[in-house]
Amino acid sequence: MNSTEFQATPVNGTARVPDEATRLRLYRTMLQVRYVEKRAYDLFMQNLIKGTSHLALGQEAVAAAFGVAMRADDYTFCSYRGHAHTLVRGASMAGVLGELMGRECGLMRGKGGSMHLTSVAHGAMGSYAIVGAHLPIAAGAAWSAQYRKSGQVAVCFFGDGATNIGAFHEALNLAAVWKLPVVFVCENNHYMEYTPIGAVTAVPHPAADRAAAYGLEPVLVNGNDADVMYDTACHSLARARQGGGPSLIEALTYRHGGHSRADPGKYRPQEEVDAWLARDPIPRYRQRLMAAGIEEPVLMVIENETLQALDEATRVARESPLPSVDIAGTGVWADGGAAWRN
Amino acid sequence: MNVVMPQLGETVAEGTIAAWHVKVGDRVEVDDLLLDIETDKVATEIPAPLAGTIDEILVAEGETVVVGTVLAVIRPDAVAVDPDDAIPDSDTQSPLPVAENLTPLVQPSAYPAPLSPAVRRLFAQHSLNPFMVSGTGAERRIKRSDVLEYLRNQTAEPEQAAALTTTTGEMPGEDTTFVPFNLVRRMTALHMVRSKAVSPHVLQAMEVDFTNVAKVRAKHSESWREKTGYSLTFLPFIARAVCLAIGDFPHINASVADGGLRLHPHVHLAIAVDLGREGLVAPVIKTAESLSVARFADRIHALTMKARAGSLSNADLSGGTYTLSNSGAFGTLITAPIINQPQVAILSIDAISKRPVVVGGPQGDSIAIRSIGILAQSFDHRAMDGAYAAAFLRRVKAIIEESDWLRKLI
Amino acid sequence: MAELSYREAVAAAISQEMARDPNVVFLGEDIAAAGGVFKTTEGLLQRFGPERVRDTPIAEQAIIGAAMGAAMTGLRPIAEIMFADFFAVCWDMIANQIAKARYMSDGQYNLPLVIRTANGGGARFGAQHSQSVENWAMAVPGLKVVAPSSPADIKGLLAAAIRDDDPVVFFEQKSLYASKGEVPDGEYVDELGTAKVLRNGADVTIVALAAMVPRALQAAAILQQEHGISATVVDLRSLVPLDTQTLLDEVQKTGRLVTVEENPRLCGWGAEIASIVAEELIWDLDGPIIRITTPHVPLPSADMLEDHVIPSVGRIVQTISRTID
Repeated sequence: MNSTEFQATPVNGTARVPDEATRLRLYRTMLQVRYVEKRAYDLFMQNLIKGTSHLALGQEAVAAAFGVAMRADDYTFCSYRGHAHTLVRGASMAGVLGELMGRECGLMRGKGGSMHLTSVAHGAMGSYAIVGAHLPIAAGAAWSAQYRKSGQVAVCFFGDGATNIGAFHEALNLAAVWKLPVVFVCENNHYMEYTPIGAVTAVPHPAADRAAAYGLEPVLVNGNDADVMYDTACHSLARARQGGGPSLIEALTYRHGGHSRADPGKYRPQEEVDAWLARDPIPRYRQRLMAAGIEEPVLMVIENETLQALDEATRVARESPLPSVDIAGTGVWADGGAAWRN
Repeated sequence: MNVVMPQLGETVAEGTIAAWHVKVGDRVEVDDLLLDIETDKVATEIPAPLAGTIDEILVAEGETVVVGTVLAVIRPDAVAVDPDDAIPDSDTQSPLPVAENLTPLVQPSAYPAPLSPAVRRLFAQHSLNPFMVSGTGAERRIKRSDVLEYLRNQTAEPEQAAALTTTTGEMPGEDTTFVPFNLVRRMTALHMVRSKAVSPHVLQAMEVDFTNVAKVRAKHSESWREKTGYSLTFLPFIARAVCLAIGDFPHINASVADGGLRLHPHVHLAIAVDLGREGLVAPVIKTAESLSVARFADRIHALTMKARAGSLSNADLSGGTYTLSNSGAFGTLITAPIINQPQVAILSIDAISKRPVVVGGPQGDSIAIRSIGILAQSFDHRAMDGAYAAAFLRRVKAIIEESDWLRKLI
Repeated sequence: MAELSYREAVAAAISQEMARDPNVVFLGEDIAAAGGVFKTTEGLLQRFGPERVRDTPIAEQAIIGAAMGAAMTGLRPIAEIMFADFFAVCWDMIANQIAKARYMSDGQYNLPLVIRTANGGGARFGAQHSQSVENWAMAVPGLKVVAPSSPADIKGLLAAAIRDDDPVVFFEQKSLYASKGEVPDGEYVDELGTAKVLRNGADVTIVALAAMVPRALQAAAILQQEHGISATVVDLRSLVPLDTQTLLDEVQKTGRLVTVEENPRLCGWGAEIASIVAEELIWDLDGPIIRITTPHVPLPSADMLEDHVIPSVGRIVQTISRTID
């Protein structure tokens, strides 16, 4: 993948700039994600988060844009790199951090963990650890919305690596044939785990170049531009909501860290990393907002509030007790139990 | 009836005809010598089991045949018994089990067919051992249902069983020591109560002069002990006498059933053995009518040993038609035994001791010292009356007092 | 009561539930216009329309994934996987996603879905279309597993599965599709997790599932007549939840257990039953537990080969008459 600058490529040909309130929401949302992910990194280094974690530092714009653009009753499905997508739906920071630390206050009381963050109350219908598995599931949620004529849309986030797996193709095909109200969002961070995506994909743009196979428009956008992403999100959501069927969006972005906590990401060329760090969505957006006339103190208030909220959430999560071991044997069935026999 | 090659030792499978003492057409009385048989272990004489005429001789002198082979046929002269009930053809009887088939046992787990967990638990719960239960499964395996059947037959309803082993009177209210009944004790208790409830017992006793027997015993006791390793007691002689007498009094060897008396074709003689704390068992000597005194001695000894080792099989304990209860060792004068159901009589043998008695002689009466013992029979008054039972006892007495035991022993 | 075939009972159950609850929807390959490759769903498209009865592409992961997504969001989908062997194609969806999702989310949603499939051999389709794979589903926590043996049980248990708020994998045995039986009229719902005693005996308890149930019954009749062996026959009906109480009660009465399983030997459902009985009833067992199964091979295609490996009435009779004394 080359690392040239991308212009906004709006779906309908004209770029729109969101209003100020929306832009501030976008900024705050991206900030929340950034701060939580950084805090998660720190907590991991302090051994308060066990297991593994897949951080989306650097990819905040995509999730934030959809989070702001979506209806509260829309559905989202994301991969194991899903802290961002869960937060942008309104799930609490304490709930997310608590889940990562395996505490009683966690979104799933420690039963799911980092890779499975779920908050149905916020329409966050799960994070999925099998690559590509959630695409057909998202299609199913969209089918349900279509059947019930509710106007809800399902948005499905996945990485470039997922575009080569069987479930991707089955889901895209089914969604296209049934014209399901689902938006498939590929966050192309150029690496499938430790491997450059170009080395394992038959076409240069892993998602956009496959759209035609399903009768869909190719959409290739700058994933690090919050305004572009917001515009893209609004268009695809509106299309789905109006019965126009699915969209497949490829958003170009980059992760600042490695694939997971265990990975320092040394397989990426330093110039490439540096170039993408220079395109960090958050400082760029900050500059853009100030250039658009928003006073810096306004932004600093948002930054401080977000930081305070983060610190409070961290405190809550750290003070939350460990869950009772009794819950391990519960919740398999709808009746709350796990009995396989009488 | 057929005269068959007997099993002369537990590992002996055949015998050779050494000499015939009769020929076809000869008339014989009971216990007349028929032939001599030799095995690699022993030479022995075969007596006539009943009075009659030699109809056929089927095996020649010098020939060797397997156990069970018919050697001769005697046509009985007095049909005291229905021919169908006569002591049947020996070749249809299974010979006494060969030693190889008897596994000496210490634990249930060595029983030929393995015991299932269900059976083991029932044994543990009810203090049983596998030799008390006959198996109807493959290779005589004891199945759970066999044990349950056994328990059903052995024990009354729990309430009834409790009632039968509970006192019906008031005990003094002192500190008593409780000695619980084990299963054998409980079963004995129930059996005894039932037997008395079912059979109207009558006791008749006969004084018997055992002096002739005593003489033979004295003469041979040392050599007998040396040869066999055990003592020659009065019991085998009495057993032989009883079997012979039953030949003339078949109602003694019967069971009350179906509104009548079922006469058994064979004498399966049960010998009561006191196991001390373990209770009483009565192992059965099958088809005892064909056994000589020596054979009786062997069989009694073998069964007593098995009983003491706890290794009696179910076959050993079932099917008795008449019982001998030997209390002699305890020194009792007379005992009124309880009938071993479903039999109709039981004989108690009490102490035999030297007493002064009046004997008649050519010079008139004099006092002599004789070995005297009382044989006391309890009989079931449903099956017979006193005259019949007494006549049987008289016959037994006569056989004991008048037989040439020396000849019969060897 | 009416006489229905096993396959008709499938459509009858789906029809009953779709009429009752507008949230019940149905998707699968060739299930709508064609009425199912085994003709199990004829008439449903006509009765309920193309929004509720949908034909899909050949895309098992999409079918099951979509069923999950729909179940998470208010619908009660029935998904058909044409042949049970194809579970392997979408096993991630069934075992990793559907089975685990509720637990991982700490119960934030239920998955009231049914996956129905045509299971087992006897149709000469060859190894990839003939295996009995109930044990695959039984081995995964989070899936309920049902395998009826009669039209009445199909009707009642499929209705119950559709009404159940948990994922149910519903195994229809293809060799039973043509079989007929009495089915109660009107609305009929049975209960998952309940076994049925179809015959009472004293010597041995035979536990069977699906197509092995009628064979076990035939064998029991022959065993009584020709061998004097009296057998209890238990139709397990559900593997999860397992009606352990009936199983233990019936084995305790006879002291002997024999299972008859169409699946290949290793890790078949009978192994779990045997383990439970060996642990909880060891002191009531009067002899070894015997499992009669297909040997541990893929199923051959030729009719006489297939019939030879799948437990036959003759093999059941022979095995039991030799091991029950």
